[in-house]
Amino acid sequence: MSSQPSAGGGPHARFPAGLRVLVVDDDATCLRIVEHMLKRCDYCVTTCSRAVEALRILRENKRGFDIVLSDVYMPDMDGFKLLEHIGLEMDLPVIMMSADDGKDVVLKGVTHGAVDYLLKPVSMEALKNIWQHVIRKRRNESKELENSGSLDDSDKQKKYSDNGDSGSLGIEENWKVVKRKKEGEEEDEFEEREDASSLKKQRVVWSVDLHQQFVAAVNQLGLEKAVPKKILELMNNPALTRENVASHLQKYRLYLKRVSGPQHQGRADSAFSSASDSSFSSVPSLDVVDLQALAASGQLTPLAIMALNSGPRSFFNSNAPFVNSSKMQPAMMHRVNNNQMGLLYGPSASMDSRQMVQAQQIYRAYQNTGHQVSEGAQGLLKLPSPERTSSSFSSGLISAGSSNSFVAQMNPQRQQISLPQHQEQMQIGVQQPSRGQFLNRVVVEHDSKISSTLGQQMVSNGVSNNFLVRSGAIINGRPPLQVNYMNMPPYAVPRALYSNVQNPHVSGTVNSSVIANTFTGMKQEAITIAQRGVEQIDSINSLKEVKDIVPNYDMFSDFNQSKNQEWKLQNLNLSYESSKQVGTQLSSIDYGFSISAQRDGNGIMKEGVPRNTCAMTKEVYSMTQTAIEHEKVEFVPQESLFAAADDNYDLESIFGRQPDTNGHVEFNF
Amino acid sequence: MDYSNLQRKAAYLRKSLFDQGYLDEQFDQLEELQDEVNPNFVEEVVTLFFKDSSRLLNNIDQALEKSPNDFRKLDTYMHQLQGSTSSIGAFRVKRECTLFREYCDKENIEGCVKSFQKVKREHAVLRQKLEAYFQLLRQTGPVERATRASN
Repeated sequence: MSSQPSAGGGPHARFPAGLRVLVVDDDATCLRIVEHMLKRCDYCVTTCSRAVEALRILRENKRGFDIVLSDVYMPDMDGFKLLEHIGLEMDLPVIMMSADDGKDVVLKGVTHGAVDYLLKPVSMEALKNIWQHVIRKRRNESKELENSGSLDDSDKQKKYSDNGDSGSLGIEENWKVVKRKKEGEEEDEFEEREDASSLKKQRVVWSVDLHQQFVAAVNQLGLEKAVPKKILELMNNPALTRENVASHLQKYRLYLKRVSGPQHQGRADSAFSSASDSSFSSVPSLDVVDLQALAASGQLTPLAIMALNSGPRSFFNSNAPFVNSSKMQPAMMHRVNNNQMGLLYGPSASMDSRQMVQAQQIYRAYQNTGHQVSEGAQGLLKLPSPERTSSSFSSGLISAGSSNSFVAQMNPQRQQISLPQHQEQMQIGVQQPSRGQFLNRVVVEHDSKISSTLGQQMVSNGVSNNFLVRSGAIINGRPPLQVNYMNMPPYAVPRALYSNVQNPHVSGTVNSSVIANTFTGMKQEAITIAQRGVEQIDSINSLKEVKDIVPNYDMFSDFNQSKNQEWKLQNLNLSYESSKQVGTQLSSIDYGFSISAQRDGNGIMKEGVPRNTCAMTKEVYSMTQTAIEHEKVEFVPQESLFAAADDNYDLESIFGRQPDTNGHVEFNF
Repeated sequence: MDYSNLQRKAAYLRKSLFDQGYLDEQFDQLEELQDEVNPNFVEEVVTLFFKDSSRLLNNIDQALEKSPNDFRKLDTYMHQLQGSTSSIGAFRVKRECTLFREYCDKENIEGCVKSFQKVKREHAVLRQKLEAYFQLLRQTGPVERATRASN
């Protein structure tokens, strides 16, 4: 890297300099090395070897840090716990580090809110770009505040929405502001960026005391009934705005769910069903951080990240982008191949914030249910939203490359996404333009276990989720997807499958990947959709026709092109994990659609599709039946699939960029 | 000339360490971090590593003796060791650590014991070699990593 300290290059070159980093690691050797690497990046580094010490430092110096790097396994406190504390109290982006690259651990990082997960040994490359998480987080928060905020911010909101649509404006704009600020100012003042984000509201730092007051207020009101307005009233703190409380509430809810995840299955259900309306606005959706963490934990593909866009709030109230790292619990996904690329679900040019919202919703749903998908189970969560919700997804998750770090957030607008070096994660940002029911389609991918949280969530919420999990499958001609129906209620399977079969909507809707969240009431539909998705996938596989598999799924088309015949229907194991606990893990969902959308920019149904679909329906149906009987997800990763995928895997073609030596691909959207 | 001889020796030793898999590219990263500001960075870090890792190895030794059935503990220790070995690029040691952990997973105590012997051995060998290497470097003076060029 050898970045020269303040080489005097443009403002851009100086920009991340001075980033204030806190590193926590009980391993002295690693700590020393990381410290030096960070110093090489011109960051301001503080180190400590104990989590409690880190918290103390942070508490004493609330605004003194921009980002935290923490080891996962520490003697005095679990890294994840620290992560949560920091998220709740200081709201700083946290990056996890570990030599452990197990999917479940990485996923845990995501679900606990880490914005990234670096594998040890940490390289300079990985550290170079950590500043992006800071920017992203701030942008998200800014949007979040605005979205969940008052109406007088409507123009700002609009601006963000517009940005969401157009993609790059917002970020570019911010960057320009940042750069301008940077110039002529102290190069080391990284904090300038805060000014740059002029739209951003004043950040409230939640001190321990403040948080206690908050918790007291929430408890008094009752968690389910706690609304920002009332909490604000109870807290009676003039310095707080409703927005501050709202965002903190989201995080808190998320945190609670995470802590008591396993017992929350039903809860999520009620939370969702009852909150169908409010849910979109103030539901304890995934925090941006959580999402980020999610994203981070998995390997997000740039597109995915884009789709998710750290601005969940911006898109929708409390809708965090659905980021689903491929790390799903119980080995949902088999680790197929480190180089497998997850489905790239990239936000289409017209990334619709609503879609992101959807994704978020889905994510949230998953979070709540904490379902777990059994090992190797992969499901494609597909939501045929178009028909019903008339929302289209433009956002998707793209899991790309593999790297030790991943970008937690997807930013449809110029965001840099570092792709995991060795693993691909897919994140899916789903936006739900309309409230109510929408189908979520989450493509989970990669060789990470997919937590059936998603699936579960869906199911418990009456949403049928079809998870299409693709182990390392990359959409758009990447390895075939492995489809698993996860958490599909037995009854859901049947007809739903066929009903939408003919529906070009499913395919057409998605801009290549539409994620619709189906909520309670939409079970059938969801199932249908899922089925459809599955069907499509199935058709691809079972029919061994690698052509026109699924109209929408360009990936399938690509897949077809790749002639990956190895994807066999029989290899798919539908699994229903209705009662499994996923915990807070999210299943990685492959979002094949997005990728294809990205590539082709359209999710046009292919000709052969209907035919295939019809044919597939049956198969899917029977498959589903079988799956239902099994109640278990048994996904057997097809190694061959991945092998094929590898052949077709071409980061560059997907992103049009070359991954750097570490497998990082940076995307500037 | 003596100097350049030493340089050549150092270069050679370095190269062989890489070729034989004692070190991997992570060690390169360490060397990259060394500069005028931190002229002895690599040696410092390596010293730190051996100090820490010796302690860890002791812990594992004791654990194997006193509570051999606590595989989780063994795994935790070894995981820690693995983290730092990979950080300095001690490839062979890391590899043995991984094997050890696999035995832990399978709860195969014999395998663990045997594997641990290997870990210790690799650890000792690496230590020797690196000590020799640094000694050579010290003799050649604070030169640039000219040895790299020869790689």
